[in-house]
Amino acid sequence: MTRALFLALLVALLAWPSSATAQRLRLWHAMRGDEQAALERLLRAWREAHPGSVVEVLAVPYDAYASKLESAIPRGHGPDVFIDAHERLASYQSRGLIAPVPEADDAMADYEPTAVKALTYDGRVWAWPLSIKCVALYVNTRLVPGDPPATLEAIEAMRATLPRGVYPRVRVAERVLPRGAPARLQRRDPRRARRYTFVGPEAARSLQRVIDMTRAGVIPEEPSGALVSQLFSTGHAATAISGPWLAAELGDRVPYRVVPLPDVASEGGRPMAPYATVEGAFVSAHSHDPESASLLARFLADAPGAVVRARLGHQVVANRGAWAHDPDLARDPLLATFRAAAARARPMPTNPAMRAAWEPARQAILKALRGDMPPREALEQGLHRFEDVTRPLPRRRDATFALLILGGLAMALVVAALRRSRDREFRVAIRKSVPAYAWVAHAAVIVTALVVAPLVVGAATSLYATRNGESYFVGLANYWDILTARGGPLLATGSFYRVLLVTVLWTAVNLALHLGLGMALALLLARPALKMRALYRVLLIVPWAVPSYVTALAWKGMFHRQFGAINAMVTALGGEPVSWFARFSTAFTANVATNAWLGFPFMMVVTIGALAGIPKDLYEAAEVDGASRWQQFTKITLPMLRPTLGPAAALGAIWTFNQFNVVFLVSGGEPDGETEILVSEAYRWAFTRQAQYGYASAYAVLIFVILALVSRRRAEEAR
Amino acid sequence: MASLTVRGVRKKLGANPILRGIDLAIDDGEFTVLVGPSGCGKSTLLRTVAGLEEPDEGTVLLGDRDVTRAPPRERDVAMVFQSYALYPHLTVRENLAFGLRLRKTDPAEVDRRVAEVSRMLGIGHLLDRFPREMSGGQRQRVAMGRAIARRPQLFLFDEPLSNLDAALRSQVRVEIKRMHADLGATMLYVTHDQVEAMTLADRLVVLNAGKVEQQGPPLEVYHRPVSRFVAAFLGSPAMNFVEGDLANNALRAEGLSLGYDASRFHGALPPRAVAGVRPHDVVVSPDRGAITLRVEVVEPMGSESFAHGTIGDQPFVARLEGGAIPSPGDTLRLDVDPSRVHLFDKDSGRALDAEAP
Repeated sequence: MTRALFLALLVALLAWPSSATAQRLRLWHAMRGDEQAALERLLRAWREAHPGSVVEVLAVPYDAYASKLESAIPRGHGPDVFIDAHERLASYQSRGLIAPVPEADDAMADYEPTAVKALTYDGRVWAWPLSIKCVALYVNTRLVPGDPPATLEAIEAMRATLPRGVYPRVRVAERVLPRGAPARLQRRDPRRARRYTFVGPEAARSLQRVIDMTRAGVIPEEPSGALVSQLFSTGHAATAISGPWLAAELGDRVPYRVVPLPDVASEGGRPMAPYATVEGAFVSAHSHDPESASLLARFLADAPGAVVRARLGHQVVANRGAWAHDPDLARDPLLATFRAAAARARPMPTNPAMRAAWEPARQAILKALRGDMPPREALEQGLHRFEDVTRPLPRRRDATFALLILGGLAMALVVAALRRSRDREFRVAIRKSVPAYAWVAHAAVIVTALVVAPLVVGAATSLYATRNGESYFVGLANYWDILTARGGPLLATGSFYRVLLVTVLWTAVNLALHLGLGMALALLLARPALKMRALYRVLLIVPWAVPSYVTALAWKGMFHRQFGAINAMVTALGGEPVSWFARFSTAFTANVATNAWLGFPFMMVVTIGALAGIPKDLYEAAEVDGASRWQQFTKITLPMLRPTLGPAAALGAIWTFNQFNVVFLVSGGEPDGETEILVSEAYRWAFTRQAQYGYASAYAVLIFVILALVSRRRAEEAR
Repeated sequence: MASLTVRGVRKKLGANPILRGIDLAIDDGEFTVLVGPSGCGKSTLLRTVAGLEEPDEGTVLLGDRDVTRAPPRERDVAMVFQSYALYPHLTVRENLAFGLRLRKTDPAEVDRRVAEVSRMLGIGHLLDRFPREMSGGQRQRVAMGRAIARRPQLFLFDEPLSNLDAALRSQVRVEIKRMHADLGATMLYVTHDQVEAMTLADRLVVLNAGKVEQQGPPLEVYHRPVSRFVAAFLGSPAMNFVEGDLANNALRAEGLSLGYDASRFHGALPPRAVAGVRPHDVVVSPDRGAITLRVEVVEPMGSESFAHGTIGDQPFVARLEGGAIPSPGDTLRLDVDPSRVHLFDKDSGRALDAEAP
């Protein structure tokens, strides 16, 4: 008794200090490298200035950042202060995650207007501006000595003077948003919030411009961030449009300078206006100590802090006081140039619908760049895609009926159980098997928690319409939408049936290749005359041992139109380079090649095992009976492999049917979502199309039903 | 049906000589049994005839055809395996028809032959079963049926009875003999069981360490073994061997004086030799017996019994007729007909009455 009391006392004592520190603040960020070092330096200064105050810092990987914030803050274990780009501001605000900056009018006078504008939404300022990030023009001073080109046309003209294999300019396709504001979403007017402006004559004209430059060899085909940095750092690009992050990668491998983006002479000499991203320090609306949190956020943004961030973290800081405070900053050419570029830049729109606009816009731009469609039509198609994604959600339905059915079912179950339990024999049987239930109880609990519960929750979600956090019951409307192809043609791109067909084709082709290759290699390895069998076996299992996403990314690189290994081989053999992801057939082939590579080792290993189980004298008997090699294979090997390979093939079919990694990472659905399979399509609805979890869940349930039916059918056949 | 000729066949596995120059001539319709201890090369010889192994040297003729390098399917031979090697995924009917179907035999003919074979072997009721659903004896029969249905030029048997229990084995042995009589086929049969060898063979071939030790009709081999090896291998219980001095048409050792038929041995005999006496050739003779056996163990078999013991310090087994069963510790006086005494060279083991090798 005394001991219990003592223990209770001890626990209370230990708990005391943590409940007593009201001064504990949590800060989340997604920074790395120098930026992170600068932040830590600042926090040390804060602790010195506020003794007794504890700041817990958590660096969250960028990919998971937003979703972590969105789920943690409302549940009360999120940060008090977090640093993020302004693009998601509207989404955070609409979910009530952030608190506005108090008395912003006075406080914001010190900051760059562009930055303040970016962080303003619905008439209020929502974060302390930290830095502005935008792109500028990197110029290779060895290739372009003298004055940097002042206009886009001047860069285009460089094509003639540069050595072969050197591009006048590189940049990332998705960032192709030249002058003319092809994309602008009206921010302040909620009624027009869903207007999609990646369309129209101006946008088409800028896109045409890019196509012309690609054709003329001014910019390379299919550019990506990695390619930009690779080409520029190896001296294969005379100029590059990129942000401050490129400077960090370049080091002193290539001599360069950075200048603001050039003007466009054909548009009356107007400058190219890049999009800017503004980073701010947000204060959580759920903070335990909003006053201290606000103080901390302001401390990070203030002039002294800004100087540290600029000097140590190389940020283009938004605090104007910092530039005045430390004249050295303006003398840093990199910082000065990016600051000048930021002054011309336009903040990235922050409307929640913006996230749904990127995918169709990107598809449209890529389609036009590949020459599959004229720019205007491609952009129009993008608009339709956007409208499809942002279409009005199904009508809200009364859940009473569904609840009644559910309640009825539950009642029936309970009544049945009660009736059963009155049966004496049943009770005896149950009592007898109590130890058996005890043995499986833990497994049952785990399976319920990890498999059954998510399944039920997923299935229940499919009965709701969800979009960006909003959610209400709609009954079977999601299924109706999916199964009627959302009112469009049944086999239109992106319709359920089209994707299902692709998925079935995908599964069939892959399975055939897996079985064929796996078996062929297993038979080769089974030859007793083969030397170094163990080595080959290990080498052939390697593709299986490497994580599938690593393999998928490697293959994606190999299929690059200009720089991939596959096209290098094709050209070496005298063929024309292939744009692998431009057409369904080739993109599908690329996916299949990757997945065949990933999948054959499993079948090979299974076959090797099964082959070892076939007695040698069966072959001898067949040989004496008169069977040729081929007949021995078809009449002995194949039938004897069947009992083992059958279940393996069924497993393989299910894995392939749901092979998300390869499709998502290799073709990414290119071209235009045509190579998407059901799981990756479901993923798109959940994570790139305005978080329509209900719709995505309905897809998932349909996938589950299809697989369950097919495997059941197979099991019956096997019996 | 065809004759089989094997000439000068040699085969090494790695550095290990398995067959060291085999010559055989088997007539059409003859039942030949290859017998010998494990590792003597009898299975390798059979597999060489089947075409599953290729000899390093020598030729194999089937009839007049040289098939030394021909693959099995071009030889028209059928083989019954020790493990039966039935195709587990096929029914009995399909197993029986397998070889015929591979040869694209007319389906009606296939059915006819399957019916014929299954009637002959009494497996008609098993036709739709799978091998796993049958007993060992039934599988063995199907394995033979599969060979018979093909009507090959030559049947090969690789210890086909060794997986059966004793009772079944003697029953099937008789059936095989009958089957050979019915079919009149040329058969080559490998076994290590001397009872099978003796009972089945028209011609017995005893192999030892990759060479033919002796061949001929089984009784001739039994009664006139050319070497101590053959003599010891055939007959159960095995022949007794006692070493002693030769003098005055008798071999003498402690506790024994064995007279032999001197007319069988030409030329000078060595002063010391090994005498071979089969347990069955011994008679109890309290008066005249020149052999004194001290009995240690007795195995009564009903109609006969076997007395195991020693003569001097050499082990010896005697077969005793009828009900007179001695007790351990008894001393028996035995006699042997001199014509039944074999003499072997004490070093080379060659029979002293055999022609020089």
